[in-house]
Amino acid sequence: MAERWQDEPWTKHLWWTGKTTRRRFLSLSAAAAGAVGATMLVPPPWREAFGQAKPYKVGTLQPLSGTAAAGGKTALVGVQMAVERINTSGGLNGRPIELVIADYESKPDVGRRKAEKLMVEDKVDAHVGGYLSNVCLACMPVYEEHKVVNMVSVCLDTTITTTKCSRYTFRPFDYAPAQAVAISPYLINKMGKKWHIAYLDYAWGQSTRDAYIEQIKKNGGEVVGTTGIPLGTADMASFVSKISGSFDGLFGIFFGANAINFTSAIYDLGLTKKAKYAGDGAIAESTHLAALGQKIEGFVGINRYIPVLDPPLNTAAHRKFFDQAVAALKKIDPSGPLPDRYVQSNFEATNFLKLGIQKSGFRGREDTMKLIEALEGMEVKESDDFPQGDKTLRKEDHQAFLREFIFTIQGGKHKLIEVIAKEKTIVPAACKFA
Amino acid sequence: MDQIVIQTINGLVNGMVLAVVASGLTLIFGIMDIVNFAHGDLMMLGAFVGATVLGITGNFWLALFVAAIVIAMLGVLLQVTTLRPLIGRDPLTTILATFGISLVLQKYALWQWGPTVRKISEPVSGQFALFHLQYPWYRVATAILAGLIIGGLWLFLKYGKYGIWIRATTQDRVMAQAMGIPVPLVHTAVFAIGSAMAAASGVLFGPFAGVTQTMGSDFTLRAFIVVVVGGMGNLGGSILAAIFVSLIEAYAALVVSPAQAVIVSFVVLVLTMLFRPTGLFVPTPK
Repeated sequence: MAERWQDEPWTKHLWWTGKTTRRRFLSLSAAAAGAVGATMLVPPPWREAFGQAKPYKVGTLQPLSGTAAAGGKTALVGVQMAVERINTSGGLNGRPIELVIADYESKPDVGRRKAEKLMVEDKVDAHVGGYLSNVCLACMPVYEEHKVVNMVSVCLDTTITTTKCSRYTFRPFDYAPAQAVAISPYLINKMGKKWHIAYLDYAWGQSTRDAYIEQIKKNGGEVVGTTGIPLGTADMASFVSKISGSFDGLFGIFFGANAINFTSAIYDLGLTKKAKYAGDGAIAESTHLAALGQKIEGFVGINRYIPVLDPPLNTAAHRKFFDQAVAALKKIDPSGPLPDRYVQSNFEATNFLKLGIQKSGFRGREDTMKLIEALEGMEVKESDDFPQGDKTLRKEDHQAFLREFIFTIQGGKHKLIEVIAKEKTIVPAACKFA
Repeated sequence: MDQIVIQTINGLVNGMVLAVVASGLTLIFGIMDIVNFAHGDLMMLGAFVGATVLGITGNFWLALFVAAIVIAMLGVLLQVTTLRPLIGRDPLTTILATFGISLVLQKYALWQWGPTVRKISEPVSGQFALFHLQYPWYRVATAILAGLIIGGLWLFLKYGKYGIWIRATTQDRVMAQAMGIPVPLVHTAVFAIGSAMAAASGVLFGPFAGVTQTMGSDFTLRAFIVVVVGGMGNLGGSILAAIFVSLIEAYAALVVSPAQAVIVSFVVLVLTMLFRPTGLFVPTPK
């Protein structure tokens, strides 16, 4: 008997026996290379306007594959929208932005490796991006080591701007302690005193849970239990079934597919009839609403951004951002989702970087400290660059403060309930830069 | 006591869905010695096809049927173009090939359907009181339906002419070939059946948690544990192992945190590899 299957007689007809001549192989290869090369050599339409000007290289690490790929793709849309807008309106200090995109496959080790590559091989001048908190935390020392400004654009883990803060990292959007301060009075006064918190059991979920426990207690409420559910659990019924006892509300801290799984499980098991359902706004992002249907009706959440055009979001700047984002999202998703906070914060994080570069006269890495000083304490006003509203990028911890939106889901759409002014979301800084 | 009853039902429901996924996986391994890392992604793709058909027709059962057929055809294509040429090569080659297919399928789903989560509505509505919970009938119906699918497969393998061909090829490929069974065709057919079962489980599981391009990842990992614990290539063993592992995880959730409960299945895997490498549900080798 033959040693390998393919050497056995009965497998002979399985194998390709025709001949590919060298001439045919070479001609096909040349044609393929030509097609690929031609595509790569065609410059984007705005490039001509900059002549020989050296572009600013901005790296963006996003999870474009793996568990967080769906969110990563929408996050990237925000960065691309901002970069496209900057380049088509004359660039920065007469130079265009060249975006270097890296996929970290939703894994911290890959993220760290790709961050190193952006620093060493691609030699980026600054970074905008990140999505999963554990990846942001893993990569922060890399930016610090290479002295490159890192504008976090999604990661919400509290410690990024508290115990693990870095002089090189900025978070130009909200974080859990600010959200907890903003919504806790509403939870206690309008929904109930006793809460059970269910959270995604990793860096972001744990730090967010702690922030809510503190604020619910501070506002006179009580947290009667907590349930942590591992990231990526396909069926949460076994874990959700354990949630019992007496409580007025169930507060969820989930995002992405995990948010869908959790909401489906608590609805299917009747827990949303027993208690009110509230949580982080990531649970009810626009990309989730169609899939959740009736299951998300009545949910109360807090978010920095919701896709509504009602006051105070009925501004020309927001409408412009909204329309452009809808068009850009349609290109990556045929169902045409509305923009979410990932698109918004990536768009605005890039614009923060733009303002910092303009203000500091940043030329490259040698001017990183100038860029940091320009960004520290930066106040921005609601505008085309910042359609979400005014912001303060606090000097002490590089944490931004902005207005928050408390909303509910009605008829499958976001409905604004209350706007919390940015001044009412401020919590003391808890960072000591090394 | 009430929690034990609830977790028993949860474990059985979860175990039956897992059994459908794992039975396709073990069938493919048993006959071709291929560890199919793309199995969970065939499940995911089946769910997307099911969601699309459901969106057009509004008929869940038609969606289930069409998804199974479409993914079976995709399975045929994958087997003929990618896996068949690798038969007999180092197992690492097929592992890498199926891992590559898995990445391609995930990327394809994200490109084709975008990041928005898709919905598959439950064909059976309503709930019944189960202690402090309102338990959905659909979860029970899913377990029953999964049982019917597995039962149908078992009857086909036991009594069907082509089922007997499959069993003969699993036992001894060379002898089966000598007896006139078209072994390459059987390989392709088995891959198609395994793919169809993955697709069916994707559509059945869709209403539990929506359809995303990563929904198969957790199932792939758990199905591998089940296949090893049940005995590689042993269909009955895999089904029993699926229920066993799911029940153990559900009971563990009662006494430890969810993060620790999911480790239990890995502990079972390690213990099986150490003390009974042929699988828990196969007779002790003499």
